[in-house]
Amino acid sequence: MICAFFVTTAQNSNPAKGYKKRVLENTEVDFLMSMYKQEGDHSAVGGGVGNEELTDVTPTIVISMPLNDDDVLTIDAGISSYTSASSSNINPFNETGASSGGGARDDDDEYDDDYLSGSQPTGTPWLASSGASHSDILASVHVDYSHSSDDRNLIWGADASFSVEYDYTSFGFGGSLTKLFNEKNTEAGIKGNVYLDKWSPIYPTELNEYDLYGGNFLSQGYFNGVNVLDQNGNVSSGYYPSAFTSVTDRSRNSFSASFFLSQILSKRLQAAVFFDLVRQDGLLSTPYHRIYFADKSNYYIGEANYIPVYTTPQNKGVYQLADDIERLPSTRFKIPMGARLNYYMNETFVLRMYYRYYTDDWDLKAHTVNIDLPVRFSQRFSFTPSYRYYTQNEVKYYAPYEAHLSTEKYYTSDADLSKFNSSQYSAALNYTDIFNEFKISRLALKNANLKFSHYKRNDGLKANIISVGFKFIFQ
Amino acid sequence: MKKLIPALFILLLLASCATVKEYEKVYINDPDMKLTANTNERFETNFQVYREGAAGANGGKTGGGCGCN
Repeated sequence: MICAFFVTTAQNSNPAKGYKKRVLENTEVDFLMSMYKQEGDHSAVGGGVGNEELTDVTPTIVISMPLNDDDVLTIDAGISSYTSASSSNINPFNETGASSGGGARDDDDEYDDDYLSGSQPTGTPWLASSGASHSDILASVHVDYSHSSDDRNLIWGADASFSVEYDYTSFGFGGSLTKLFNEKNTEAGIKGNVYLDKWSPIYPTELNEYDLYGGNFLSQGYFNGVNVLDQNGNVSSGYYPSAFTSVTDRSRNSFSASFFLSQILSKRLQAAVFFDLVRQDGLLSTPYHRIYFADKSNYYIGEANYIPVYTTPQNKGVYQLADDIERLPSTRFKIPMGARLNYYMNETFVLRMYYRYYTDDWDLKAHTVNIDLPVRFSQRFSFTPSYRYYTQNEVKYYAPYEAHLSTEKYYTSDADLSKFNSSQYSAALNYTDIFNEFKISRLALKNANLKFSHYKRNDGLKANIISVGFKFIFQ
Repeated sequence: MKKLIPALFILLLLASCATVKEYEKVYINDPDMKLTANTNERFETNFQVYREGAAGANGGKTGGGCGCN
């Protein structure tokens, strides 16, 4: 049925209007896949301390189909399946806790996390836990429709998107308008998007119990029978996260307006500038990011002998209880602006350059530079080495582990909002099947590409990502 | 904003200087010359939106549609 639809739409030209080149000749299908793996030691779930290992696999399909000479419908659907040491430690302890006997080791997976000291549960920010939050799947779909005028100098479009994961749902829609001038040498466009997102907040276990049971939480639920230790390793009943209140506004709304202007500067040179205005409101913090205050006493669950080495990977068995969750303002205004310059040097080399400046009202400023150098060594094969440099200062609400004060209104220990710089080195191999010789049923290969990137931040975070894509034409 | 205005001005100024005819766009129309990000960059853009404080002006998400920065 799908095949029949493609054929019908592909043949739906109107000869009475005279010849005009179709915006998209045939239905195109992209099969894309990426695998991402990172490691680091500034987990935001651990208040700026702990294992950030994460793997993510993202299969995606993109189908672009011509509805007639002028209209194109694009459907982009994918899933992102990840496992994360950091988010696994929303509950860093063994799942049953002391409330159901405490001594049962119910963790039967491969994660070497839930150490037991006698009948007491333990955890550590340096190893993944086995709780439900150690993995999740994000499913998303994006549908885009575009219409081009007969002279192809005006293009308008509309799009809608939906994505869902365990604790976050997003619905978005938008529209765009592009105008070409000056014998298609100049192109100007505007795009607007709205995202109406919703959190289903989950909190660190200790704060969730405090939220559930109030003042007597240490003798109920998870904490019933569990020893809480002070900084000296003595059993204590002093832990009381009074700063914590559950979030009331669960929405996150984003409104963006994007502008771009591109210009052909010569037969070999063209440039574009991009400018976005983005306003967000609602819950802009992440409700499971822990905060530890410098002016509050520290409390732990686990083995006392690991407390002196808490902030090092030598800590195999103690987890510090949070004073609060990350708190950030309910509005943010972002202004990213970028420019791209592409130069066709000769039949072998093309130079692609990109620069972006970013600023927002949380006092984050960032610069991004990217250079690609596609090298064609045959009609079919090209190789593209790339380098990307990124630098940012910290938002005004950031402080590292145990550096915030309880008197502050906003606070985060998320290293992604700290001062750092990063370098990314990439290599991509592209194959173009000039005559669409390779076929699977009625899908003929147009091109294939494979890309590997290594990302390194000066705070220790490292990541590798490999992506592969196959573009087919439906014949 | 101070940096964008000169960039726009320069681009508009240059726009008035030259017109490349359709039949002269063989280099400009090369797939590597397109002014948008490549398809295989989408995954990198996605993780950068999560791992970095800045986003946008590159066709990727700017904070909406994900629990990212």
